Amino acid sequence: MRSLVRAALSSLRLTLRTRVVSGWMYLNWLVFPLIFAAAGLFVLSTPGGSSSRLVYGVLGGGLIGYWSVAYIDGGNGIQDERWQGTLEQVFATPTPLWVIILGKVAGAILFGLLSFLPTAALAYFGFHAVLPQLDPSRFVISLGVLTFTFFCIAITLTPLFALWRWAFSMVNGFEIAVYVLCGFMFPVAILAPWAQGVAGVLAPTWAVRALYASTVAEGPHDLVAWWLAAVGLSLLYLCGAYFLYALVERRARVSGQLAWA
Amino acid sequence: MSAPAIEARALRKTYDSTRGVFRREKVTRVALRGVDLAIERGELFGLLGPNGAGKTTMVKIFTTLLLPTSGAATVLGLDVVKDEWALRRRIGFVFGGERGLYWRLSGLDNLRYFADLYRVPPAVSRRRIPELLERLGLAGRERDRVELYSRGMKQRLHLARGLLNDPEVLFLDEPTIGLDPVGARELRMIVRELADAGKTIFLTTHYMFEADAICDRIAVIKAGEIVAEGTPRSIKTLVEDQGVVEFEVVGLPRERLDELRGLPGVSSVAVAEHDLAQLVTVHCARPSEVMTRLSAALDGLKLEKLSSREPTLEDAYVQLIGDAET
Amino acid sequence: MSRIASEVAVFARSTYFQYVALFQWASVRGYVAYKILLPVAQMLFFVELGAFATGPQNAAYFALGNALQLTANAGIFGVIATVANERHFGTLPILLGSPANRLVTFMSRAVVNVLDGIVSVIIGFAMAIGLFGLDLHHANIPLLAVCVVVVSLSTAGLGLMFGSIGLVMRDAIIVANVIYYLLLVLCGVNFPVSRLPGAVQLISYSLPLTRGVEAAREAVAGAPFGQVAGLLGGELLVGLAWALAGYALFATLEGWARRGGMQEAY
Repeated sequence: MRSLVRAALSSLRLTLRTRVVSGWMYLNWLVFPLIFAAAGLFVLSTPGGSSSRLVYGVLGGGLIGYWSVAYIDGGNGIQDERWQGTLEQVFATPTPLWVIILGKVAGAILFGLLSFLPTAALAYFGFHAVLPQLDPSRFVISLGVLTFTFFCIAITLTPLFALWRWAFSMVNGFEIAVYVLCGFMFPVAILAPWAQGVAGVLAPTWAVRALYASTVAEGPHDLVAWWLAAVGLSLLYLCGAYFLYALVERRARVSGQLAWA
Repeated sequence: MSAPAIEARALRKTYDSTRGVFRREKVTRVALRGVDLAIERGELFGLLGPNGAGKTTMVKIFTTLLLPTSGAATVLGLDVVKDEWALRRRIGFVFGGERGLYWRLSGLDNLRYFADLYRVPPAVSRRRIPELLERLGLAGRERDRVELYSRGMKQRLHLARGLLNDPEVLFLDEPTIGLDPVGARELRMIVRELADAGKTIFLTTHYMFEADAICDRIAVIKAGEIVAEGTPRSIKTLVEDQGVVEFEVVGLPRERLDELRGLPGVSSVAVAEHDLAQLVTVHCARPSEVMTRLSAALDGLKLEKLSSREPTLEDAYVQLIGDAET
Repeated sequence: MSRIASEVAVFARSTYFQYVALFQWASVRGYVAYKILLPVAQMLFFVELGAFATGPQNAAYFALGNALQLTANAGIFGVIATVANERHFGTLPILLGSPANRLVTFMSRAVVNVLDGIVSVIIGFAMAIGLFGLDLHHANIPLLAVCVVVVSLSTAGLGLMFGSIGLVMRDAIIVANVIYYLLLVLCGVNFPVSRLPGAVQLISYSLPLTRGVEAAREAVAGAPFGQVAGLLGGELLVGLAWALAGYALFATLEGWARRGGMQEAY
């Protein structure tokens, strides 16, 4: 058990070190979130609108960046090894693939969290947008729950992207679809009823709802229920992930296609 | 007698793929056609064959990367299909080449990372990594990024990675390919030393002299089947009554070449372009007889440097693999 | 080979590579994902955001702007992919060494991508009308069509610039990604350019799309051609300026390559 933890930590360290020097990484956690935050803040601050909507501008860009990193960088764990030519080598070690991916996703997530900083700074300095009624403890817990949901989704997506290349080609579409469905920059309540239904089965929807609720005083808020919903759905995804990893192992050993980029 | 270190029984592997974009047809390629092999502990075993013969497929099955389609394989008594987790801790493999290393990291960081993946206790890896670096001639360069390493250094780093868990069995897939002669020779010496120290080594190569130089036993594989197996000496005896006649000629017409092939005793003819002339190598029985017939058959053409010699392991290999015209 | 024949050959080969680049996804699924799913998601995001911020009656405003921005996908990335393919297949030196009219060769890279850009916008408009309530009953449809073509041409001009940058800069695609998304902020796609700081507006008006979006909005409102001719002319000029800048860069690189300077770039 200790050796598996050590392997996961080693994978985390390796991810951090390779990401720090990767240009794409800065794009995902810094540049794109800033662009979307700027677009969002301009739209949300349209004259005549309610100033309370600017809350979505403060956090929205950070959420977009956080999600993008977790999803694209975290979700590409296996593909990343394949592109580097190291997939066969790590696959044939006594450490299960999911342990290695765990470390990689954790590393990506740490970077993703950084997105909140520049986007909140843009909101404050560019648009004087703040979170005046922030409840720190609820906010931190909500952020922790959100982190857990992103973590579980990335762990689950990793084998999915590796197994089916068409899933990977849908990457950018799904990425932006989640901005919409999980209420990153506007409440899910404004979506069509069928879309709200879809949003309801996405774990981050509940975590984001709780996150925004922790920044305003007025209710009704059922944060605990929302936290539990987010965590519960995430655990369901992990159950699916278990089968997906087994399938990846099996497919890889039957087809021998690990080395193919 | 102890159980073999590596054993294959009726090992078969087929790959299915699809061809075409709109009307997809299924294509099946047979990589291994029922291979039987047994390698004893402490042996340095060489698997020889041309590209596409099934060497890498066999190594991948033994190292648990591939599942056989049918048949069985065990390494150290463990089933490669069912006991993969236990087996991976006790074996090492080196595929070599440019890929397989984190080129943005240093050699040392690569080794540390893989040591953790191989679940080597930290106290052990702290001692073992410097030893490996020293032994493989990488000491002093371990903190440089792998992308700055020469081809030979990368290959040695691959080998160091393969030895991190002090494996009982080591699989090397074409380890000297792409190396300069000096680098290749150094690597062969290291491999021989590892075998002498008691490790079982399974090596694939398409260099005949390499197998001849260091292997205790060899098997020759062609199109997924073992066509010969034994010590280098015993394989040479396969061609002991054979000889080789070589000569140079300018402008050998096709019909004369066919005539040559048809001569009694001739088993294969290889033609290589050499400046303006062709270098013809004839594998045959009773070379002196063939030489006489040859002169008659090629009457009118000017033959230079006509000679005959004893077959080498390379000739045996060529014989086993078949005709070649380059 | 006669001069014309060689020019045609170069043009054909270049067009072929654009075609290959276009279908780099190598599957119908991939094309749908990239050409339909992604644009729908992008439009949906900004339309819902816009509706939330300014009221559902403004959904069409955001839909129109984003539909036009979609052409930049083909114009920028498509052209870069074409150049990348030429480099990958090793035909770039051949192209540079050919006796063909280099300007024509250079410009020809954008042809298929302009067409692809127009297709993207048409798909965007279909979504804008079907899903987001864009009403074209009062629109000047022929003028709108002209706007679409002009915008596709001008963004391809920007793409040609990136194609040239891509010859020397390995990560030009990263810069291209940034510019592509910056268009959403700088070009009046989601809010009027007048809301940007003055200095930033200068950048906006030096980019393609800005004038084209303005012209298209007027066309949807039923404006006559004369009212937006200036905008369209300006849009074409901006696109041409970028294309020529790209060509100047390309020609400079070619000179260096001939003198043995930038062989590694190929």
